[in-house]
Order: sequence, then C-alpha cells, then structure tokens
Amino acid sequence: MPEFQFIGKPTDRVDAMEKVLGSAKYVGDYALPNMLVARTLRSTLPHARILKVDVSAALKIPGVVAAITCEDFVDHSRFGYPISDMFMLAYLRVRYAGDGIVSLAAENEDALDRGLKAIQVDLEELPGVFDPMTALDPATTIVSEHSRDATEDPRGNLLMHYIVRKGDPQRELALCPVTLEEDYSTMHQEHAYLETEGVLAVPVPEKNGVTVYAPCQSPFINRGNLVRTLGLSEENIRVIQPHVGGAFGGKDDLMYQISGQAAKLALITGRPVKMILSREESMIASYKRDAMQMHVQLGADADGKLRASKIHATVDSGAYSSITPFTAWRSTIHAMGPYRYDACHVDTDAVYTNNGYAGAFRGFGNTEVCFALEQAMDELALKLKIDPIELRLKNCLRPGDTTPHGQPLGDDVSLAECLEQVRKISDWKHKHTDYSRVAAKPLIPGEFRRGIGVAAVFHGMSLGAEGEDFAVGTLEINQDLSITLTSGLTDYGTGSRTVFTLIAAEMLGLNPERFSMPRPDTDQSFDSGPTVASRATVLGGNATRVAAEKLGLQLNQSAADLLECKVEEITRHGELFISPKEEPVSFEEVVNHAREMGLTLTSRGRWSPPKIHWSMETGQGKPYFAYHFGAQVAEVLVDTGTGKVEVTGFWAVNNTGTVIFPQGAFGQLYGGITQGLGYALMERVDYDNGYIQATNFDEYLIPTALDVPDIVGAFVEKTFSSGPYGAKNLGEPGLVPAAPAILNAITNATGRRIRSLPANLERVLLGKDLRKEGSSTACKLGLK
Amino acid sequence: MKIQFILNGMPAETEAPQDKTLLNVLRENFGLTGTKEGCNVGECGACSVLIDGRLVNSCLTLAAQASGHNIVTIEGVHLPDGSPNDLQQAFIEYGAVQCGFCTPGMVLAGEALLAQNPQPTRQDIRTAIAGNLCRCTGYQQIVDAIQSTAQNRQEKKGHA
Repeated sequence: MPEFQFIGKPTDRVDAMEKVLGSAKYVGDYALPNMLVARTLRSTLPHARILKVDVSAALKIPGVVAAITCEDFVDHSRFGYPISDMFMLAYLRVRYAGDGIVSLAAENEDALDRGLKAIQVDLEELPGVFDPMTALDPATTIVSEHSRDATEDPRGNLLMHYIVRKGDPQRELALCPVTLEEDYSTMHQEHAYLETEGVLAVPVPEKNGVTVYAPCQSPFINRGNLVRTLGLSEENIRVIQPHVGGAFGGKDDLMYQISGQAAKLALITGRPVKMILSREESMIASYKRDAMQMHVQLGADADGKLRASKIHATVDSGAYSSITPFTAWRSTIHAMGPYRYDACHVDTDAVYTNNGYAGAFRGFGNTEVCFALEQAMDELALKLKIDPIELRLKNCLRPGDTTPHGQPLGDDVSLAECLEQVRKISDWKHKHTDYSRVAAKPLIPGEFRRGIGVAAVFHGMSLGAEGEDFAVGTLEINQDLSITLTSGLTDYGTGSRTVFTLIAAEMLGLNPERFSMPRPDTDQSFDSGPTVASRATVLGGNATRVAAEKLGLQLNQSAADLLECKVEEITRHGELFISPKEEPVSFEEVVNHAREMGLTLTSRGRWSPPKIHWSMETGQGKPYFAYHFGAQVAEVLVDTGTGKVEVTGFWAVNNTGTVIFPQGAFGQLYGGITQGLGYALMERVDYDNGYIQATNFDEYLIPTALDVPDIVGAFVEKTFSSGPYGAKNLGEPGLVPAAPAILNAITNATGRRIRSLPANLERVLLGKDLRKEGSSTACKLGLK
Repeated sequence: MKIQFILNGMPAETEAPQDKTLLNVLRENFGLTGTKEGCNVGECGACSVLIDGRLVNSCLTLAAQASGHNIVTIEGVHLPDGSPNDLQQAFIEYGAVQCGFCTPGMVLAGEALLAQNPQPTRQDIRTAIAGNLCRCTGYQQIVDAIQSTAQNRQEKKGHA
C-alpha cells in the first residue's frame, strides 16, 4: 500500500470539539425573538375518511396564531419519491394512527395545547389492513390510493413486485440430496436517534421566501419538496442542516413533512416557527425499518455445494410508499446472499397496510433478508454436518465469479478473506467444536450454555440501479489561506466531513487544519443526491478528490510559473512546492502568485460511478457497481432458566478497501453491530390493529453499555479501484449480519432455532412468543 | 417562584413556575442548551447533570428541588481557558463522539463515576453509563475514554 500523509492516520473528528464542550447547536437549541411554537394534530385512527376539519374554535384561543391543513399547499401538499403518495398533511383520508391532519402555531406551549384540543376533526373510520400477508387478497380494503392496479390487477395494495431469475430452481431443488425450506420473519425497527425530529423555519420577507433549519438526511430533497408544495422557486428557499443528533436513515419523510408544515406556518405568520417532536410523537409518527416475511428454499449437493435458492418475500410498506420501492428492490437483489448457485429465483411483493409506514433504515432491505438467508445457511450446514464457516467458504462469491444476477465481479471481492480472518480472531474452530458437543446433550433447565455463530454479508454500494447516482464537491482557497470544502452529502454523525477533509488534504498535500466544512446548506453546496445507502465515502469522497485534483493543478501551474519550470517538474515536501533548481516556495507564495496570474483558486468536482443496469422483466443485470463484503462472529451465553441471552464476544471483519479515517470506520462498525444486537435481542415495534405498542424508551429498549461486549473489528484493506484512494463504504454493512450471527449463536448454544425477531426471553426459553393482545392506549395517549 | 443555586461554580437565580423541570430552566432561563432532551421520561440520560456531584436526570427533577444545591452542566466541565478538560479531550481522542447528542450526558456520567471511584474497571464504567443511551458508537470508545482518563488522573495523583 502506498504511504499516505494523512489518510489512515489517527485524526480527530472535525466537529468533536464543539460536541464535547456542549456548544454544538442542534435545531432544538435555537431560539429566536418573536418565535412561535408549532405542533401537528395527528390521527388517532389507523384508517379513516376525513369528513370535516374545523379550526375556527382553535384560532379563537388566545395565543393561537395560525392553523394549516393540506388545502394550504399546492396540489393538497402531495410529495414523495420515487412514488408521490404522501402529503405534508393528510388529504381525504388518514392511513395510519399518527398521520398528521392540522398544524398549529402558537405563542407558547400552553396555547398550543389548548388550541390542538379545540380543533374539530370528524373522521369516519374505515376497515384497516394490518396483516401484510392478507394485503393482496382481492376482497381486502384498499389502503393505497392508486386505481392503477385496481383495474388491471385485483391486488390493489401491491406497491411493487421485483424478481431475480437464474435457471429453474424448482427443478434443481427436486434433484438436490439436501434441501431446506423454512419461513423467517422480521419486525419493524425504530431508528431511536437520540435527537427527535425538529425544525425551525424563518421567513425571509425580502426574498418572499423561507429558510429552514432541518436536521434531515438530504437538504436538497427537502428543498425540492418545499418548492413543489409551497409553490415557490429554489431561490426562495434555503435549507440549512444544523448538527444532526443521529439519523440512521430515519430523517427523511417525516422531516420533510414537518419542514413543510413549519415553513408554511412561517410564511403565513411572518414569524419564525419552531416545531420539535416529543419522543412519543416521534415514535408514533415516524417511519420504521420495514417488517418482512420470507419463505426460503435452499438445495445443495451432499458435499455442501449450493445448487439452488428460491425465495419469496413480503414487505410491509405500511401506509405510504416512502422508499420501500428501493428497500424492496435491494432486498430482492441481496436475498440469496453472497453465494454461487446454478439456479436462483427471488420474488418480492411490497404491500400497503395501515401499520405506520416503512422507510429507510441503515442496511435497508439487506438487513432483513440477511437475517433469513444467513440462518438458512446455518440450518443447511447442520443438515449437511458441515462447519458453518466451511459451508460459506465453499460457496462464497470470489474474484472473477458471476453473481446470480449475471454480474461478473472484479478483483475487489474478498469475502473468503473476511471469513478466514474472522474464524481466526474469534478462535472459532475450538469454540464451535466445544459448544456443539455440549449442545448435543439434553438441556438441564437453568444451566448456562455458550454458543457461537457466524454470518456473512455482501452489500451493494450506493443507490444501484435505483436512481441517478452522482455527487459534487467544491473547494475554495480563502484570503487567509484557509480552504473551504463543501459537499452535497451530509454528515449526521458518521464522520464523512472528516473523510472528505482528509481526502482533500492528501490530494493537495496541505495540512487538514487548513480545511473547514460549513454545515450543509442548499445555498452553498451542490445537489449530490440523497445521503443514504452508504454513499458518502465513495461518491462524496471521489467528488472531493476530483475537486482537489483540479485545485492542485492550479497550484502547480502557479508554482511552475513562479519557479520557472514545467508543471510536471514540481514536487512536494509537506506544504512546500519544489522545482529541480530554485529554492522551494511556500503555499502562501504559490497562492499569492496564482492570484496575480488570475487563477480562481476555486474548483468543483463531480463524480459518477461506473454504469449499471437492471431489467425488471428478466430479473438480470448489473445491479450495483461494486459490493462491500464482510463476516461477523457472535458468542453468547444463554441462561436456559430465564431465556436471557448475553452477547459475550463479537468479532467483525469487513472489506473496506483503504481505511481513510480509522476512528470513524471503527465507530461505524461498532455502532452498526450494536444496532444489529438490539435488532436481534430486544428492539420491538409491534403494531396491534394499527396502533404502535411502544412510544418511548421505557417500552422500546435499545442496547445500553451493559448489553454490548467489547467488539473486535478488523478490516480487509484490499484496494478498491473505483474508490477514493481505494476506499469502500462502511455505513451499513457493519449492521447487516450482526443479528443472524447472534441468532445462529443462540441455536449453537441451545439447539433451538428462532426464526422470528426479536429473540426475546420467551422465544429463547419456550420457542414461542407470549405477547398478549396489544392495546391502543399508549399510542392514543401519545397522540393527546 | 424564585430559584437559587450554584450553577457551574457561580451563584445563579431565576424565576420559574413550580412545575418547571430543571432541564427546561437550564435550557430556557439560562440558555445552557448543552443539556439535551431525548425522551423526557428519564430513560435516555441526554439531560444528565450533576447535583452535588451526583448524576441526575434533569427532565425528572423540578427546578425547585434543585434550589440551594450545586449544579454542574456540560458547560461547567471545561478548563478555565475554555479548552476541554482531560475527559472531554479523551472523548475526542478515542472516537467517543459521533452525532454528539448523548455526549454531554456521557461526559457528566463519566465525571460522576470518576469522582466516586477513581479506579473503575471496564465493567464499573459500563454500569455507570448504563443510564445514558448512545445510538451511534456501540459504547466501547466511551468506555475507553473514561478508562484512560481514570488512569491518567491516577498517574498524575501519584506524581503529585
């Protein structure tokens, strides 16, 4: 590997200082003179027709200043991408318990409370669809609004159907000596960012516009929605992203809705409007990771060579489509796992129901199918009496292989290395043999048992054939010799600002301290598509690299002119520019000379990944330009008397390519695994007849410091040719295989297989769930 | 009602209704927004402050209850010159900060522990911060930061 000056070296996160001092400002920390507070009245019914909304009594209450409904926006406030089926405030119907109906602005919280109670909303309850498996029955109530399918396809609640097709798995399965056929299910997961959604909208009368401070994933998408629904132009609207207190995919649609609500109220009243959601409102109103039900069939030869896979999945999109079309496509592409098959079919149905709604969540789509497939691989290994890591090594994709989608792979593929390395660092062979021997003995209730489990992952980089893919970065040398760096991709705690800074510093040979990155702002950076899908390092990093190359060329031109040599003859030592003959010159001299030469000392870099394509009809193509690979091992201690599972060890090896910002990379890995641990063991969002059963952290448990072991992480730094300095992305794949690794470890300990999430006490102890009938009380209280 | 306490080392006084929480008084009356609201039910610890050295959820504490006591918020932790103290510096160094929303509470949880137990084990540290949720880091970098600070403070004490 080449020697770098800054990349891969210990570096502090660029925004860490203000965060430890407590001076970093989040949206809730802003207060402006004359500011109003706002809140939204939300539906207490999961599905109903809106008969009447009357705000006149509310507006008579002292301190209540303004009220809005969907009628105050263009086209009833419709927005959404890729399918535009959402509204800033509900139109005609409410489709989940928590759907917004009226937004109110008031002088203070007291007036707001009284105003919301005085709003009169008449709802006519409609039958709801709560079981995704029945959502496609021809007789079922239609949740979606499209008659598109209602005429041609009786399955009116079908949002999307996707396929992968290779060969004839049915025929192959019939010929396989060893087969497996099982059902797996996952449930919704709450993002549980510590900062709830919030927004501050400030009117800008001179522009007839509004500035919106919004901790959202993608400020440019936010602006686009505001342009459409407010009927203003891009010049009228500025979206600034303050510090974001965690996102994990969760600060899209609901953030855009409340941005629209607050912006409209600010425009009407001519005053700043702040709207901060309580935890209860956040959990009730926000979208979740989609719940999936999967039917998996695998077939292998007696020696363990995989022959066929056939998978059917149903995705619960809930009330709206949000990004489920992308999630469901990603799960379709990844459902068979990173393995070779002679034949493979995947069919995915995404359906509308009245269970909240599903949207982006770290690993979207892949987390869910990985849970099923990696457990199925383990079950198959048991049947074959082959070590689970051996079975994966025997079948895993390797450099030069072709995926079941028909995509030839490059030499960056390194799953085998990940599996071998994680086997070694976890002491797998020894532990797996020991624990399996104990597991074969009859269980004495109350005994403690250890188990170890593995799971592998591949994760398509960036958006894939889902959408246009590009990023833009800019650089500008300022008068004081500092350098301003911008990116349209945002940093919500991931460390991408530090990654971009290091890439620019490395390319320009200038100290990272010279660089500063303003908070993302639609007036100061360029649209780079959404900050999702583990895009930042490769897309944003490459755009920064291109911008730095261009700026570096200007500096070298200036240095060559100053030193009277050719541009190619310039070499560098630290920040000095050196020619073969003359004395070295400093960065300052080069910059001053460049200005005299009339060079702008600004640059803009745009980067798009290599071309990809996907055929929805044939289920074949090149879905992503490259993949991330990884393997994780979990070790557990199970109390067979209570069903309590303690994760006592965790080892993860991920194929990251060059690691640019090691502290950030480990942070992404450990944090991702911890969310996966929560997903495996405790995180539970039930919807009972449309009512969410957990509305705060007293009911929705996420891992505490006592639930997580010290994790051992390692990276396979095989250079990735399309990545900036050979880097791959890492945001999502750390999370994806964690849950199945833990579930496989539980089986290894107890001999019992849990195919539904989460693996709570009852499932571990009894093999079934004991949850009683749910109640709508907590949800309704939360909506009061 | 009138509320008086020592706030970050200085006498402080304000007027607040009886039912106003310490969290809201700190944020609204004193503009100390480093103390965050994450859940408002005492589960997440983002609102942690020190009252007489003890770690307390300020969302569950009425400002009136804090009257007459010694309150330390994140804004009172740094060195006199405004630079981070050793524990805050260790948070930066060990990557204990990602989104930063839990960080003020975590730093105070660390200080509360070290004041009481200068030589904590990793398990002691995990127990001490178990009331403070972090969704980004996976916690071990936070444990590292507190542990290294404990060791450094012990060494310094040894030399003194």
